[in-house]
Amino acid sequence: MEQLTQATINGVMLGGYYAVMVLGFSIIWGVMGVINLAHGEFIMIGAYLTWIMNKQFGWEPLTAIIVVVPVMFVLGYILQRILINRIIDRPYLISLLVTFSLAIIIANATKLIFTATPRTVNTVYSGFWRIGETSITVPKTRAIVLIAALIIMGLLWLFLQRTRLGKSIRAAAQNREAARIVGIEIAAVYALTFAICIALTGAAGVLISPTTPIYPFMGGPLTLKAFAITAMSGLGSIPGALAGGVVLGLVETLIATFVPGVGTNLGIVSSFVILVVVLVVRPQGLFGGLKAAEAH
Amino acid sequence: MTMDSNNGRPLLEIQDVYSGYRTDFDILKGVNIHVKPGEIVCVIGPNGAGKSTVFKALYGFITVRQGRVLFDDRDITNIRPQDALKSGITIVPQLRSVFPQMTVKENLEMGMYLERDKKRINRQIDYIFDLFPRLAERAKQKVGTMSGGEQRMLEIGRALMWEPKLVLMDEPSAGLAPLITKSIFRGIKQLNQQIGLTVLMIEQNARQGLEISDRGYVLELGRNSYEGTGQELLHNSEVRRAFLGGH
Repeated sequence: MEQLTQATINGVMLGGYYAVMVLGFSIIWGVMGVINLAHGEFIMIGAYLTWIMNKQFGWEPLTAIIVVVPVMFVLGYILQRILINRIIDRPYLISLLVTFSLAIIIANATKLIFTATPRTVNTVYSGFWRIGETSITVPKTRAIVLIAALIIMGLLWLFLQRTRLGKSIRAAAQNREAARIVGIEIAAVYALTFAICIALTGAAGVLISPTTPIYPFMGGPLTLKAFAITAMSGLGSIPGALAGGVVLGLVETLIATFVPGVGTNLGIVSSFVILVVVLVVRPQGLFGGLKAAEAH
Repeated sequence: MTMDSNNGRPLLEIQDVYSGYRTDFDILKGVNIHVKPGEIVCVIGPNGAGKSTVFKALYGFITVRQGRVLFDDRDITNIRPQDALKSGITIVPQLRSVFPQMTVKENLEMGMYLERDKKRINRQIDYIFDLFPRLAERAKQKVGTMSGGEQRMLEIGRALMWEPKLVLMDEPSAGLAPLITKSIFRGIKQLNQQIGLTVLMIEQNARQGLEISDRGYVLELGRNSYEGTGQELLHNSEVRRAFLGGH
């Protein structure tokens, strides 16, 4: 019983992180119709930036967010202007090929610069809290990551619901022609959306840094998980991302806890299984979103 | 065949316009249409005659290669959509143009996306709610859950947010049941009488469109073939045979 409770707690905490990790991917898809296969690589860049701030300047990992978010925002904006802008409105295959190439370039450039050695960051929030007299524990780092993830999602939600720019992004996602006729400049919305989503994805890299080794090829599995969660969550839905993230988090931790001899290696496999099952059973996603996922 | 019902200066003048989607092929080959303040003008014609293309050219979605568009005594040829809005032209497109996952109120707000003055936006929303009490009742409802007729009403309401001088309506009856179509046309006529709304409309449903219109144009193969008052066109034997399924 305690084992189940422990696995559930871990799964939910992991799910909160997954939710924030997936949003950049699913909003870009929902608003611009671009499937960003370099998603995991942008998380990786965020994680490396965190590692640099941590190693060079002794920053607490999560504080790196104040550097990573603006840097990634600018990077996202530039990339949108020089690269992504050219592939919007082209068939999905083109955006898949371009972003896949981008992923390979980023990962290998990172390997050239930082070598393939896995890096870890140091945090003062190691250790865990024990719950009552039980053997159930809550790792401090993961709890803080979960809180940070919830705050980020709350801010993003407020931005999308309440601000004029946020509304223009939702409008462009829901009906592009209608957005044009009310005077929204679609190109500007796209540039802003991509920049914000890459900043958000970089922030996910900050959040993941204290809990996992950082290495140049960490991005691929993360992109795959983003795919699986997006299949469940619908495009650009924050509550959907939270629900989908928690489902994947729970599946991963429960399998790791109760299926003997597999450890966490089945994580990726469970992503795949979820992806395939959802696509077969309910291709429009489980929770709705900015708009329903659709193949153009 | 021209018989103007009113002698004022035209609000909109489309003069000998050539335009199309590709640079080497014109859909519109010399279109002439004018609209006077307070008029409802209806453009009818067979599929592929270029009816929707006229609006796209007017609203800056495609390029006018030859000819001029005058609005309110200004040359607005090849204006950008944002500037068309600001100069007082709004459009109700043929395809659904609501934001389905926003509420009625949010959709109306988006109609004035270019306005920064929140108070003015709220004032205009109240104005629209006065004109369309049905929309007021559903202010907080997600638009995707409303019927086609209600969504069309919202689209028209949103187009009126700017208190435009001219509203372009691309097949307001498209995709609606006959009864709903009737009430939408009646609503357009009412707005025309109540607030002096000027409308340039394209309509596949030629008979009902012409019935509420002051004047009409028949577009064929990218140029005008007939024009006249709504009644004249309704009773013109050739127009009847070709477009009204009459005898």
